[in-house]
Formats: sequence, structure tokens, C-alpha cells
Amino acid sequence: MDILVSSLFAGLLIGMVLAMVALGLTIIFGVMEIVNFAHGEFLMVGMYTGLLTAQATGMEPLLTLPVAAAAGFLLGIICYFGFVKFVIRGPMVAQLLGTFGLMIFLRNLALLFFGAEDRAIHQGILVGKSFNIGMGVIAPATKLAAAALSVIAFWAVWLVINRTKIGKALTATSLNPQGARYMGISTERMNALAWGIGGGTVTIAGALLVNFWSVNPFIGLLFTMIAFAIVALGGFGSVSGAFFAGLAVGVITEIPGIWDFLTYIFNFGWMADVPMTSLKYMWVYLAYFVIMIVRPRGLFGWKR
Amino acid sequence: MGYCGEGAPEKAKLMALLEVHNLTKYFGGLKANEDISFSIKKEELVGLIGPNGAGKTTLFNCIAGLYPVSSGKIIFSGHDITALKDYEVARLGLARTFQVYVASGDMTVVENIMVGCFMRTRSRSQAKTRAEQIMKDFKLHDLSDYILSELPVASQKQVAIAAAVGTDPKMLLLDEVAAGLNPSEIEDIMATIQHIHYNMEITVMLIEHVMELVMKISDRVIVLDSGQKIADGNPETIARDPNVVKAYLGERYVHEHAGELT
Amino acid sequence: MEALSSALDFSDFPRLDMIIAGVLGGLLVIFPATPHSAFAMATMIQFLMFSLYGMGWNTIGGYGGQVDLGKAQYVGIGAFTTAVLMVRWDVPFWVSMPIGVCFAVIWSFIIGYPLFRLKGHYFAIATIATSLVLKDIFEVWDFVGAACGIEISPIKYNPPDFLHLIFKEDIYYYYVILGFFFLGILYVNWFRKSRLGFQLRSIKDNEEVAKSLGINVHWAKIKTYAIATSFVSVVGSFHACYIKNIEPEDTMSLDISILIALMAMLGGAGSLWGPIIGAGVLIPLKSYLKEWLGARAGLIGIDLIVYGAIIMLVSAVEPRGIWGIVEKVRRRKRN
Repeated sequence: MDILVSSLFAGLLIGMVLAMVALGLTIIFGVMEIVNFAHGEFLMVGMYTGLLTAQATGMEPLLTLPVAAAAGFLLGIICYFGFVKFVIRGPMVAQLLGTFGLMIFLRNLALLFFGAEDRAIHQGILVGKSFNIGMGVIAPATKLAAAALSVIAFWAVWLVINRTKIGKALTATSLNPQGARYMGISTERMNALAWGIGGGTVTIAGALLVNFWSVNPFIGLLFTMIAFAIVALGGFGSVSGAFFAGLAVGVITEIPGIWDFLTYIFNFGWMADVPMTSLKYMWVYLAYFVIMIVRPRGLFGWKR
Repeated sequence: MGYCGEGAPEKAKLMALLEVHNLTKYFGGLKANEDISFSIKKEELVGLIGPNGAGKTTLFNCIAGLYPVSSGKIIFSGHDITALKDYEVARLGLARTFQVYVASGDMTVVENIMVGCFMRTRSRSQAKTRAEQIMKDFKLHDLSDYILSELPVASQKQVAIAAAVGTDPKMLLLDEVAAGLNPSEIEDIMATIQHIHYNMEITVMLIEHVMELVMKISDRVIVLDSGQKIADGNPETIARDPNVVKAYLGERYVHEHAGELT
Repeated sequence: MEALSSALDFSDFPRLDMIIAGVLGGLLVIFPATPHSAFAMATMIQFLMFSLYGMGWNTIGGYGGQVDLGKAQYVGIGAFTTAVLMVRWDVPFWVSMPIGVCFAVIWSFIIGYPLFRLKGHYFAIATIATSLVLKDIFEVWDFVGAACGIEISPIKYNPPDFLHLIFKEDIYYYYVILGFFFLGILYVNWFRKSRLGFQLRSIKDNEEVAKSLGINVHWAKIKTYAIATSFVSVVGSFHACYIKNIEPEDTMSLDISILIALMAMLGGAGSLWGPIIGAGVLIPLKSYLKEWLGARAGLIGIDLIVYGAIIMLVSAVEPRGIWGIVEKVRRRKRN
């Protein structure tokens, strides 16, 4: 029982961070229907930014969020005006491969500068501390803090999108770009803003993630796929959907723990032989595939 | 050529080729077609008219299998096609064109028509021969090797009809072929339709907003308004039908000009 | 018979193209006789392999417009079938290769049926997902060697062994893959003029119109997907015999899938020569950049930075690829 509860808890905790990871992807898709393959690389940029800022200045890693957000926002805007703007004129295959080029570019830039080795944060007041919540659940303080800050940041972005004028302009563009243009909303500016917000939010998630997840130049793809799964589950372009889908996918990544629990309950010999830990992320990919086939608009697809 | 050869008994001409029974189509709560019934005989040329939003294109899409119907039954040349998919309907010999057809891609005129011809044959040479024959009939042979998407709309529409004819259909549904064309282009397309109808002996049903065209070439006209069939008859009767006039011009206009209309 | 003459008929290309193609084809045949480095030979074999991958991708991705980013899974199926059959039961390449194609085609039907209900971006990402799922399964599957992969030991054989495709010198591999390369060109030349080819191009233009012309769009896509799959699987089998040591990580990674699609796009998707041109540009570029900048100058990753930048440039500036530019120039001249 303990293992089930702690798996579910760990899944929800990581799910909150993953929701933040996927937020930018769903916003960008909602506004301009382009899939950013370099999304995971943006996350990597956030992770390195958080890590290097903390190491260089010796400041508390969680306080590097504004730096990471600014870096991500800038990166998003630069990518939009320098590259994406030209790609969206072309056919879909060009968009897909174009952002894939961006992914390879950023990944190997990181490889050139930072090398292939894993890097992790070993400083800060939270590192090494953990809380015993009961029911056998022991939560590392860094994860708790990252999850809490993710939820806060997610909520803040949600407020910006739903309560401010600029957020409404963004929503209008995503619902009907042409109509929004007639209302005097510049599509170009909204697209750029979407990329800015998309970049900013995912780098925040990166700076949070790096507190308990070591970073290397190749980490992006995994998170790109996770983010795709979340966005598919939540409904492409849906912000609130992304949050709940994030939690769901978080739990999916903890399937090995749940499997252990089931093995313990049913006690079949073959169950213990399944190398579930190695298949951890397969379930995420499979989830994406199944969701797309069964519910193309996502389980929580509120956006029409 | 094809199915309705001269040898066919006179009786076959009188048989209904397409029968639509009580067709109803909802989109969510919105009723697009309500209880529509009509039948079309072999070698008829029927016009389908009605104000914008009357449900004409929806009706076509239901017949052609693009939309599933909510209730009702469609019989085409003895087959129940109500539940068939669009490509199955096409293979039975009911072809169609689309209202908004913007060609894209890199296919040439002859290749586009060959796609249609490939429905009845696997052989490339046969498809090509037939496509060339159709192009000659349609006076398109000069355009043969042009990329379709680079041609003007009028030619694109001609090619779309030609490709549909390439499938060797018994019946052709034409959705607003004259929309957006200038008078001389309308003349051309009218000649094409009449060629299909008289020389190729294909039954035609067309949606049209250009009244001169419909009234001039149709044997019979069916009128839809707000999803319902309000009239069905030869062009002269339709033009004088008060319900039709009302649907087009509005209740008030009819009332005010009551004297002039009869 | 008509199929064969259609495959051999290149007459719809301008004569200049045929002369250039003939000369280049001749050069490919005599290449091993010219003085060359082992590195150049390896690059040429890679070029031929990736041309074939690209030709396969081009049927569904180029002519059909369905952006498939999961071709690597079929490289894996072909390669592992051949390797496993050869290592465990000593099955010759010429037997295991068709078996691999069968497996690949069966798998392509299984996932193709649901996959082609999706369109556009959703389809593309779903193909990636299926490829990654299969890779993850192969990485834990002991029967195929799990993550360490499987090794064909050449010691057992007596090279040159044409049955098992075990050779000491690369020149044999070169001519085998060159044979497949010419066959592939003939096949695609037939395909693009066949009924299925026309149906696919019509689907790419407009699916609704295609359906109205009696095309079963879903089935046409699945069939073509199986054709594309067969190409990839055959080369995958060859890859196993040529490389001899295969792992899921290097045969089935997403990078392979993307590279396949990218080459076709760079050269010009939806044209006969596109994938070959694309492979001819990218593969040497990639190997030599890696050799010069990566290995010699010690700048790890810089080759891929340049490569990523090229992808970005192509997709932003000329998404129709090199062949697209050629055709545009020609049409402008003609008009």
C-alpha cells in the first residue's frame, strides 16, 4: 500500500512540474498551430540557466527563476523573429523539420559549450532535506518546492491569459486569427508573445526541474515527448487541460512503482520479470498514441 | 457511351436513377435538411436552388456520402447508398464536384483528370487515353501540361468536372460551378454541362445561384428553403411559384407587390 | 509487362536530366575502381543506403504528403530480424531479408490502421511515438539482445559469403547496395506513374476531392505506408550485415527517422530524384563535417550545429528543396 501511495504522490508532484513544462507548448500551438520540436531544448536552456546562475553567483537555486524566465522569454522572441516567422509560410513538413533543426542546433550548441556530462545542483538550503508526510511517503524538499512553485507559476500564467487585456488578445488570436486581426490585434505580435511566454514558462520549469534532475545536452527529447503527450491529453491549445493532463502524465511516469504494487498484490512470478523501470517512458509515448487515436481532441479538450 | 446506351429500353429512361426518401440531417441541434424527398430520372438535368443557407450543399454532401444522414434513405440506381462512404458512392457511378475547389500541389491538368479515369482501370495507358479524350471533348487539350493550381478558377472548375466525368459516372452532382465566373466563362461552363448531359448522357443535378443558367438548361428545378423542399417542377412553374418568390425576395416584398406577381 | 516498361520509361524527364543521371549512374558503377579512401567508400555506402531510405519515405511522405517521422522503427525491424535469424539459426540474408519485410509490413498495417486516422501534426508526432515505443521494447527485449544489441560474428563465415552477405572488403557491400539502389529507382519510377501513385498525389492535393473520385483514402495511405516500410526494412537488413553490430540506440533512434525525412525534403519531396539529391548533399556533408570539425578539431557537436542550421535554413527559405528550385527555374524559362 505504501508503495502505491508514494508512487501516486510522487507522480502528482512531478506532474505539477510537467504541466508547467507543457504549458508553453500548448500556448504556442493554440495561437499558431505549430508544433515546436525544440520545446525540450528550451527546457534544457532553462535547466542550464538555473544551474549555471546558481553556481556562478552562489545564490539559492530556486531564486534563479526570474533569470531563467527572462532568458527563455528572450529565446522565444528571438526564435520567432529570426526563424519561426519564415517557416510558418511554408508547408507543414517545413515547420516540423524546421523546429527539429532548431532542436539539433540548440542541443549541440549545449554539447559544444557544456560537454556531454550530467550536471546537477548540490547547493541550496533544500538539497538533501525531505519531509515524511505519513503513509510512508517521503517527499524530497526540492521536489515539493518545485511542484509548489510550478503550480503558482502556472496559476499566474493562467491569470495573465484569462484576466488581462493582453491575455484576452492572445486567446482571441488563438480562437480566430482573422477576426482578431480585424479587431486591431496584430497577429505577428501575438505570435511573438506566444513564443515569448512559451519560452519563458518552459525555462522556469527547467530551472525548477534542475533542482532534482541532472541536466545534459540530450535531455530535451524526452521532455518534448512528455510535453506532446500532455498537450494531446489536455487538448491541443487548452491551458487548463494541460494542468490536469500534466498530473495524469506525472502519474503515468510512476507506472513502475504502481507495477511493483500490483506485483506485490497479485504475486505472479512473471510480473516481477518485466523490466518496468526501463519501460518508464514507453508508457508516456504509448499514452500519446492511444489518446490521439481515441480522443483526438484530448480527454480534457475544452477548446473546440 | 457507358451505361445509358441508345439500346436501353425506353422504359429505363423513365425509371428513377436517384431516389431520396425523407432525408433529414442535423448538425447538433441545427436542422440543415428536414424531410426532403425527391427522385431524379435517368438523363434528367435537375437544378437545385434556394437562398443562402437553405441546405443545398449539405444535401449534396449527404447524397454523396460525405456526411452521414440523421434519418432517411437514399437509393441510387437500385443500391441503397445511405450508409455508404463517399468513395463507395463514387464507385457506384455517382460523381460530384465541390463548391470551393482550390487546387494545390503540383499535378498537371492531364494528371488531375487521369486520377478520375484511374477509378475504372489500373492501366496507365488506358487512363491516359481516356483523359485525353475527355480533354478533347472539354476543349482543354491546350492546357494539358499546365500545373492546375496555376490556372485561373474557370479552368480549374472545368478540370474538376472533367476529372469527375473521368470516373465514368451515371450521374454527376455539380456544386455551384458558375460561382465567381464572368459571363463568357459561364457560357463555356454551360456548354460543358450541356455536352455532359446530351452527348455523354450523364444525369446531372446542379446547385446554382446564377439563375439564367439554371432556368435555361434545367429540365426540372427543386427549391430548398431553410432546409425544406418548397417546390419541385419545371423552370416556368418554379419562376411563378409564390413560395419560391417569397423565399427569395422575402415575405414583405411579396405582400407589397402582390398585384404584379400573378 | 506494362509495369516493367513503365518502370524503365524515363521519357517524361528532359533529355538533359537523363544525360546527367546516366553519367552519375555510370560514375557510381565505376567508383570503386577509382582511387578512394576507406572513409569515402563508407560514405558512399551510407549515401546509397540513405537514398533508399529516402526513396521509401518519398512514396508516402513526398507523393502522399503524410509526414512520417517514424521510419527508424522499420530500420530496426529489418536489421534485428536479419541479425537474430543469422546469429541464432544461421539463416542467409536473402531469406531473412524478405522475412524482415514481412514483419515490417505486418507491423506497419497494425499501427498504420489507427495512425492514418490522424492528420498533419498529430500524425507526425504519433509516428514518432510508435517508433519510440518499439525502440523501448527492443531495448529491454532479451531475445534481440536488449540494449546491448546483437553482434553478427564474421568469424563463423568464410568471406566473401554472398549468401550471408559477409564480406571483408566494402566493395562487395557497395555493389550489393548499388543494385538495390537501381532497383529502388526503377520501382519508384513505376510507382509515381501507377494508379496508386496518382491516388496518393491526389490525396496530397485534397482528400475530399480524392474521395469523390472513388479513392479509398485510408486504404491507399496504408498500402503506400507498407511500400515505404518495405524499402526501409530491406536496407535495415543490409545495415545489419554491413555494420554487424547493431543496437536499438543507433538503428532506431529518432535522429534516423528525421534524417530520412529531411533528406527527401532537402532534395525535393515528391520527385523521383529528390531523395537521392538530398542524400547526396547531406550524407557527405554530415560525415565530412564530423570528420574534419568534430574529430580533428575536437569541437564535439559542431558538425551537428551546422547540420541543424542547414535544416533551419532550408525549411525557412525553400521548403520545396533543391529539385523545387530546379523546377521553378525551368518553368520560368519556359513561360
